[in-house]
Amino acid sequence: MRKLIFTLLLLVGVGFSGANAQCNHEALLKDALAQMGDGQYIKDFIVDLKNDKGGESGTVKYSVILNSRSQYKFNVVNGGANSEKVHMQLYDGDKLLVSNKAQGKMYSAFGFVCRSTKVYSLVFSFPEGNEGCARAVLSLQKQFAAGEGGF
Amino acid sequence: MIRNLIFALLILTGGSFLYSCAGNSEKKSAQQDDELALPDSITGEAPLKLSEEIIGDVIQNISSPVEMANLIKSTGVDFSQQILNNPENISDYSTSFKRALNLGVFSADLGYINSYDKSNIVVSYLLAVKNLADGIRVGQFFDFESLKRMATNSSNLDSLMQMSVSSFNQMDSYLRQQNRSNVSALVIAGAWVEGLYIAANVIENTNDEELINRLGEQKEIVDILYIILQNYEQNSSFKMLIDHLSELKALYKQVKITKEVGEPKTIEQDGMLIIVQDEVSHVEISPETLGTIIDKIKEIRTDIVK
Repeated sequence: MRKLIFTLLLLVGVGFSGANAQCNHEALLKDALAQMGDGQYIKDFIVDLKNDKGGESGTVKYSVILNSRSQYKFNVVNGGANSEKVHMQLYDGDKLLVSNKAQGKMYSAFGFVCRSTKVYSLVFSFPEGNEGCARAVLSLQKQFAAGEGGF
Repeated sequence: MIRNLIFALLILTGGSFLYSCAGNSEKKSAQQDDELALPDSITGEAPLKLSEEIIGDVIQNISSPVEMANLIKSTGVDFSQQILNNPENISDYSTSFKRALNLGVFSADLGYINSYDKSNIVVSYLLAVKNLADGIRVGQFFDFESLKRMATNSSNLDSLMQMSVSSFNQMDSYLRQQNRSNVSALVIAGAWVEGLYIAANVIENTNDEELINRLGEQKEIVDILYIILQNYEQNSSFKMLIDHLSELKALYKQVKITKEVGEPKTIEQDGMLIIVQDEVSHVEISPETLGTIIDKIKEIRTDIVK
């Protein structure tokens, strides 16, 4: 069994060796999936921000449809060369709902209990316009039945 | 634990190889042989009302087979293969339009099959997905042999579903890179309709409140899907689908969604902060409206799979 695991690890390594050396997104995805926990994978997001001419890396935004009475987890893995950890924020229109930054610290995940089905925005950026890369995963953790969890 | 690790590695190995293959060779091939990509010309001449980027961004997770399937299973209703599309029907789907739509249909069916752990029939559905994907030149994202191995050797179909969903996501990204969001929109529309069709059948048998709410909440989604599909209205095949959605959208006007804003709550669970949304939506849908929406969904689905 161990041999099989090592063989697979080797295959993964070979598969990944052709990827961008600076930011190995396949390896980041592997880590992000491993940190996803017991939830069910829904979608993953690539973050690859470079400094533009003004010296700011800007943001990258993804639209996600989240369903009411569902608990989701957003977890993110940073690229090894990042000078700062990625900032991940969930918005409803212009309204910030949740961020992975709390009390000056960047966390690798947050949970969100959705109570209204609609399109939300997931926004990634790096502090002070630094560049960097990351990979995030959205997973479904739980669906609430009527009367459960205040629904 | 070890089994899970192996599955995860298989997913990543397969995914990385497929991704590499797609990135290196397919662009060139698609350019050289574009008539094979869309033999029945489902691209339109008119400029898009929404950019490819915006369309792709919005549609990517319009329909999650995982979420709807989980909800259906939670009703306690027994699995029914009869409500699913029949894999033998794929030989009838001779156009890219039909193949793309039914690729979505079978992806939703796979989600339903997976949620009930029906490993005995999953292979035939995977094969249908693979064949339809080949038919619209995105078969490289579905490593059938790996999927089949997982389906037949594993008691944990979650990993299979993860790989399937991941394959669909990669396919979607690739289609958008190739400016083929029209194909992607069809796959998404097919999956969305099939998810609602399965839910509608379960509602008729159970009158389950959760599923009725989920069906009602699709009022938000049908509007988005309608706008996206309208981009391709110049194409007669798309027009049929757009007309269907227009009628469904009109029926959804009778569904009332109210929103109230309460206090946001923050809880900590296993060391992770969880935010409970302050806005709560409530769905009001009369039995009559529910009936007409279900009938319309069935009509659309019949047109898609026939």
